[in-house]
Amino acid sequence: MRTDFAFVAVMMLAAVLLMGVALLGAALLRPKKPSKAKLETYECGMETVGDAWVQFRVQYYIFALIFVLFDVGGVFLFPFAVAYNSLPLYAIVMVCLFVLTLLGSLLYAWRKGVLQWD
Amino acid sequence: MTVFEVINNILKIAGDAFAGLITSILGAGGLADFVVMLVAALIICALCAVAFMGLTYAERKIVARIQDRIGPNQAGPYGVLQPIADGIKMFTKEDTTPAEADRWVYNLAPLVIAVFALLTYAVIPFAPGVVGTNLNIGVFYVIAVGSGSTVAILMAGWGSNNKYSLLGAFRTVAQLVGYEVPMLLNVLPVVMLSGSMSLVDIIERQTLGNGGNGIPFILVVPLSALIFLISGIAETGRSPFDLLEAESEIVAGFHVEYSGMKFALFFLGEYVNALAVSIMFTVLFMGGYAGPILPPYVWLLLKVAAVFTILMWLRGTLPRVRVDQLMSFNWKFLVPMSIVNVILIMIIGKVFVADPVTAQVNGGIAVPPLVQAMILFTSNVIVLLIGLLMVSRQARQLRLTEAEDLDRRAAHNKAAAAKVVAQ
Amino acid sequence: MTLQQILFIVISLVVLGSAFLVVTTRNLFHAALFLVVSFFGVAGFYVLLDAGFFAAAQVLVYIGAISILFIFAVMLTRDVITAQRGNSQWQAAAFVGAFLFLLMAILLGPFSITIRGHQFGNANWPFDMAGDAIKAAPSNFVGTMGSGLVSMDQYGVPFLLAGVLLLVAMVGAIWVARELRGREAEKAAAETAIDDADMDMNQPVQETLPLVDTNEAHESHDAAAVEKH
Repeated sequence: MRTDFAFVAVMMLAAVLLMGVALLGAALLRPKKPSKAKLETYECGMETVGDAWVQFRVQYYIFALIFVLFDVGGVFLFPFAVAYNSLPLYAIVMVCLFVLTLLGSLLYAWRKGVLQWD
Repeated sequence: MTVFEVINNILKIAGDAFAGLITSILGAGGLADFVVMLVAALIICALCAVAFMGLTYAERKIVARIQDRIGPNQAGPYGVLQPIADGIKMFTKEDTTPAEADRWVYNLAPLVIAVFALLTYAVIPFAPGVVGTNLNIGVFYVIAVGSGSTVAILMAGWGSNNKYSLLGAFRTVAQLVGYEVPMLLNVLPVVMLSGSMSLVDIIERQTLGNGGNGIPFILVVPLSALIFLISGIAETGRSPFDLLEAESEIVAGFHVEYSGMKFALFFLGEYVNALAVSIMFTVLFMGGYAGPILPPYVWLLLKVAAVFTILMWLRGTLPRVRVDQLMSFNWKFLVPMSIVNVILIMIIGKVFVADPVTAQVNGGIAVPPLVQAMILFTSNVIVLLIGLLMVSRQARQLRLTEAEDLDRRAAHNKAAAAKVVAQ
Repeated sequence: MTLQQILFIVISLVVLGSAFLVVTTRNLFHAALFLVVSFFGVAGFYVLLDAGFFAAAQVLVYIGAISILFIFAVMLTRDVITAQRGNSQWQAAAFVGAFLFLLMAILLGPFSITIRGHQFGNANWPFDMAGDAIKAAPSNFVGTMGSGLVSMDQYGVPFLLAGVLLLVAMVGAIWVARELRGREAEKAAAETAIDDADMDMNQPVQETLPLVDTNEAHESHDAAAVEKH
């Protein structure tokens, strides 16, 4: 499997090379006429008010946290899915319990009103 | 070999010939392998870039026709040279970097997004035997690479030193991260039914031949296919989920401060991602390059074109969803339905087993594969209908309470207005 | 030096270097990004160890989810750029760090010390440094891992415990969320209260009257001036 990943590394290298060449070409071809107005931050054509720090709501954090939980749950389920065909019938019970625990946690979060955007 | 066989396997023949050539020049060993892999990777990346150009043109034309207008027709006959004109524009636009942008973070973000978008193609089989590398964790690798690019979006949003950029980046990441979960959960039935995460094995399972039973998975688990397509569209930020680049709202979201080639890299990343989602959908659910008469790469092209046309069709037809509709649709509808779907498929796949040998060893009823496929199909459709029923009932309740709410608010406003007039 | 050893050294330098930069950078956001580079390095280690599944899981969970969580948490605090990140207890920290390093070097390395007749250390690494030290994984290792995860006599119970752990994490997240949302709602309510108070104090009708007066005063003044001339 190590040699399989060699192509992934080569692909990363090739992508960086190609995109790097494109960026370099653009850097050579484009005009460079900086002016004070062009360097200003964009705020729909008006002057900016306050620095670029935004009080963002805790909803973003909550959704990312729930995603971490389901992500880890999914990572656990993938090896089971690969071994699915050779498992006996009663092994499904364990995985059903696990998946029902995940579903239960989602339903609990829903009932507690955490899944609203506003 | 007959002409037919040569046409069928032309990619593999060309690849083998090239590898032989390089080995004869450089001697067998690491360096020759490296050169062959580098050339193959460069060809894949270049093909992606060319496909990107063709796709932008096709998209603009098709969406225009859906919207009852013509689309680009000035650059060349029927506007065919429009992508080239766009390319020249991208190369020669000035790069207006905002003054207080964080140099390294700002410049690296588009590169990271484009590189991650291209990395998915390392694992996709274009024809039997023509695959970058047949990783035995193929599907998992694709999902992992797809989710790795979310950090680059935060880099772009933060590096621009712009409030709207940052806000757009947060919303984008919330959307992308949310729709990863249904994608993960709906690839599981495919992996369960084929017993392997390798993309080549999944295709082999859907073809008539060694180990396969010729039934594409879209006919076996249509609900999973549907949810995978929907979350794939949301992952790439296309309409109707294109809140990220809604021009009337956050102007251009997290890439508002980018211009010229860096913006082109974001754009390329989006289209390459959309193409990757279409290719993954065909490989996972429609059988990839499998097909009766035509050569495999032609089948792949036709199927991917069909799926991408569906994507463009959705873009031209559906209105944009609101951000709270987006998140509640994902977490309150797609994820529970995916989980219930996975549980049902697990149970049914073990109760009605397609292979009589495993039925004897592991317990379960042995049925021919077609019957198992039909049972899974009906169970999927039933889950979808029950889900839609529950949602429609809730929507009706919401409509009724909304009407009451509006009446109440109108009365309150009238009373408040009367109070102000009386003052 | 085989290719494997060179790759190992390169990836170790990347991981250690970016981990060092995480704790020494002034800018919190840059620290989070260097952490992402470190995670990539660890994924590279997994690939070297012939565990591709774990490399992909590392990218998916750590870089795709946990880094985003870190960056969101970093954004919740105000001073991302300007905070002076000094630590007033650095002497104690350095002492504890050096002690732990010495402990690990003794327990894991080729050294050994003898305290009161007991010998500590001199760990015997079960392979030789030269040559291909890493065994290739069995061909179906994801499948065997999967069947191990669900069978009761292998890893079935930890699997279910992991599910329960995720449920507990969700409950904790909900609790934290409600507390933070309560605090946000208080702040928002306080702001709207201030706005309401402002609106009560605003008397728009009275403010416009002086303007009208001054205009008339100017007009009469001008008229008087014209009349004078």
